Amino acid sequence: MLALNNIQILYDRAIEAVRDVSLEVPQGAIVALLGSNGAGKSTILKAISGVLYQEDGEIMSGSILLEGERISGAAPRDIVRRGLLQVPEGRALFSTLTVEENLVMGGFTRSRSETAAGLETVYGLFPRIKERRTQISGYLSGGEQQMVAVGRALMGRPRLLMLDEPSLGLAPQIVETIFEAIVKLNAESAMTVLLVEQNAQLALQTASYGYIIENGRIVLDGPAETLRSNQDVQEFYLGFSGGERRSMRDVKHYKRRKRWLS
Amino acid sequence: MDFLLLLLASGLVSGAAYGLIAMGFALIFKSTGVVNFAQGELVMLTAYISFTLYSTFDLSFFPLMLVTIPISMAIGLALERLFIRPMLGEPIFAIVMVTVGLAVVLRGITIMIWGPDPFNFNAGIPTEVVELGGVPFYPAQLYLIGALAVLTAAGWAFLRFSRMGIAMRAVAANETAALLVGISVSRIHAIAWMLSAAIASIAGVLFAANFKLAPDLWFQGLRSFPAVILGGMDSVIGSAVAGLVIGVIENLFQGYVGQGLREISGFIVIVIVLMVRPFGLFGSRDIERV
Repeated sequence: MLALNNIQILYDRAIEAVRDVSLEVPQGAIVALLGSNGAGKSTILKAISGVLYQEDGEIMSGSILLEGERISGAAPRDIVRRGLLQVPEGRALFSTLTVEENLVMGGFTRSRSETAAGLETVYGLFPRIKERRTQISGYLSGGEQQMVAVGRALMGRPRLLMLDEPSLGLAPQIVETIFEAIVKLNAESAMTVLLVEQNAQLALQTASYGYIIENGRIVLDGPAETLRSNQDVQEFYLGFSGGERRSMRDVKHYKRRKRWLS
Repeated sequence: MDFLLLLLASGLVSGAAYGLIAMGFALIFKSTGVVNFAQGELVMLTAYISFTLYSTFDLSFFPLMLVTIPISMAIGLALERLFIRPMLGEPIFAIVMVTVGLAVVLRGITIMIWGPDPFNFNAGIPTEVVELGGVPFYPAQLYLIGALAVLTAAGWAFLRFSRMGIAMRAVAANETAALLVGISVSRIHAIAWMLSAAIASIAGVLFAANFKLAPDLWFQGLRSFPAVILGGMDSVIGSAVAGLVIGVIENLFQGYVGQGLREISGFIVIVIVLMVRPFGLFGSRDIERV
């Protein structure tokens, strides 16, 4: 459904944030993109949504295809109209607007009747924010804000939903609610999902396929189970140390290997 | 007592003009983050255009506005497209400097076309004095106050209930997020300029009808600045209310303290507001000031 081919992204035409990244999100799948801070995950999502120019970023080479059609270079509005929505990192709500106004804005590209139906769906998924519909969204708790952020994106009737670290700074219970909603939408309405996460454990449980990105390059990819059982992934992303303490020498060895890989 | 009532009444009238002009400032600042220093010139230019329409077609007030407002909106749109849009992505301060330059150009163009001499321009408003609660008013004065009341209510309803109005607040709150839900930010900016120009034309025509149409009309833009600050820069409704407050304060200063203090009093208010409540009466707290 979505394909990135050898994307290279520069900020200010000087700083390379992403290099030769290719990834594919098949129709109906949940795909995870994992990596640590500064690896380039958010940059990739911004590139897909077409909002890189706001930060003086630019796709220097490669292409982004949605169902075979090139969307790199399209206006963000047109990308949204095609059903490609993003829940941005850190929620990015319209904090001076009420919860309902935030959601209504999520349906900005849709008709009035679709907006009304969308509100119903979102309130059904997250009853907690229905109670808070008239409150100013900036005053909600972090978890409720994340629900509003996800709800706002759902209002745009996404065929492909991209989530940028939805679990960031949230209580496990709320993370669970949000992920349950995502899995449910994926199963019931065949919504494709591209999930960007630092929490690899969670992401690899939810997704069927994963990419691991480091320093702007994809270093590893494969089905979620394969990645889960990969020794390096276990050690550096899932936090298993195999019971005993590792010495720095082995870590160095890993780093050397990584360099070779990329 | 009568003296006080008179001062209050004329204060409300000039305050209504400040309020209208300040609303135009706030509308552009709220959705684009730019302080439009050409707002006063926009007021002047549209008033002169309306004057030409009036003297050519001899229209009464409402038909006159019906023609003036769309023309003003077109001018607002043109200014945004030609001078502001190409500056997108530049620092806000650079854009503000463009509006300063624009102000000088518009002033020059106006004087070039219409000349430096003042005109009498009643904008098709009747001139018989009306008595209201013992205070005599010219109809033009009541029109001015009425226009402020109507536009404040309309502005509030627009920002609160219409999709476009909510989108305008959304863009003000978070531009990237607005792009991500499919709002065309550049279109919102254009609409803000158009609406602001429309309000400017109403302010200009009614101000000219109350006082006179002269090339120093642009100065009302600066005179309205205390209202913009007091209202809180980004609050459209707040600037309308603040306009009235400033108008009344100016008149009271003039009446009770001293003639020369009228012009200064508003700016004294600015200084006090910036010290005590830098975000104004109604503005949001975290505003960067230019």
